[in-house]
Amino acid sequence: MATLAGQTAFYYLAAASVASAILAVTRRNPVHSMLWVLVLFLHVAGVFLLVGAEFLAAVQVIVYAGAILVFYLFFLMLLDLSREEAGPRFGAHWPLCVAAGFGFAALAWYAREPGLLPTPPRLATGGAPQGNLSSVGTALFTQFALPFEIASLILLAAIVGAVVLAKRKTHA
Amino acid sequence: MVPVGPCLGLSAILFGIGLAGFLGRRNIILMLVSVEIMLNAVNVSLAAFSQHLQDQRGQILALFVIAVAAAEAAVGLGLVLALNRNRPGVSVENLTQLKW
Repeated sequence: MATLAGQTAFYYLAAASVASAILAVTRRNPVHSMLWVLVLFLHVAGVFLLVGAEFLAAVQVIVYAGAILVFYLFFLMLLDLSREEAGPRFGAHWPLCVAAGFGFAALAWYAREPGLLPTPPRLATGGAPQGNLSSVGTALFTQFALPFEIASLILLAAIVGAVVLAKRKTHA
Repeated sequence: MVPVGPCLGLSAILFGIGLAGFLGRRNIILMLVSVEIMLNAVNVSLAAFSQHLQDQRGQILALFVIAVAAAEAAVGLGLVLALNRNRPGVSVENLTQLKW
């Protein structure tokens, strides 16, 4: 899909992602920030579609935008933050932070020089190409079955940990 | 098929924005959200390499990154809730008890 339409779509998605990320980290109202992060995640899902990771795009929309972000929004509404919004948004050292962000992006940009990238193997695809979903699912449940189970264990530990941390202490 | 270079550039820029937000914001919840932005930037680069190298493993690693991000959100927000109960407010500048 090296077409003009693909390129245009990618550059639109990239520009919208960067803009919504900048808005997300600079808005004063945390709820507005969350909504900009939602925009960012949906555009990143579009980027995943363009690079041929359909399953990852679906998981991005369902899990990130659907579950994690809604969890953050619920949490924001659980706390009463009206006083916090009046204060300054950034610490006094924010120029250093922006410099650190720029520095990291510049370093990573330098490291993406074409000479440093591994060349694609260009393997001859024998037989009918599998769909993305079926190939990812097959790999997930055969080659990566053990890491998959460990991920479920991590999620269980996180659930129990969150309940223990957030539980109100009852004084006897 | 999008070439891998622009994807990596997008990933680097998003990671830089997330890094600046994590270091600069005072609201601890927005610091956690900046961590989510950084994890998402890494997922973009994993997916781009997965396509570039014609290998599914990048996408599988990205799936595990999403699972760990969910766990991080749950534990992090539980911590913020416990913190908020002891001393109201979510500004990191109030949390100086361990400073000497």
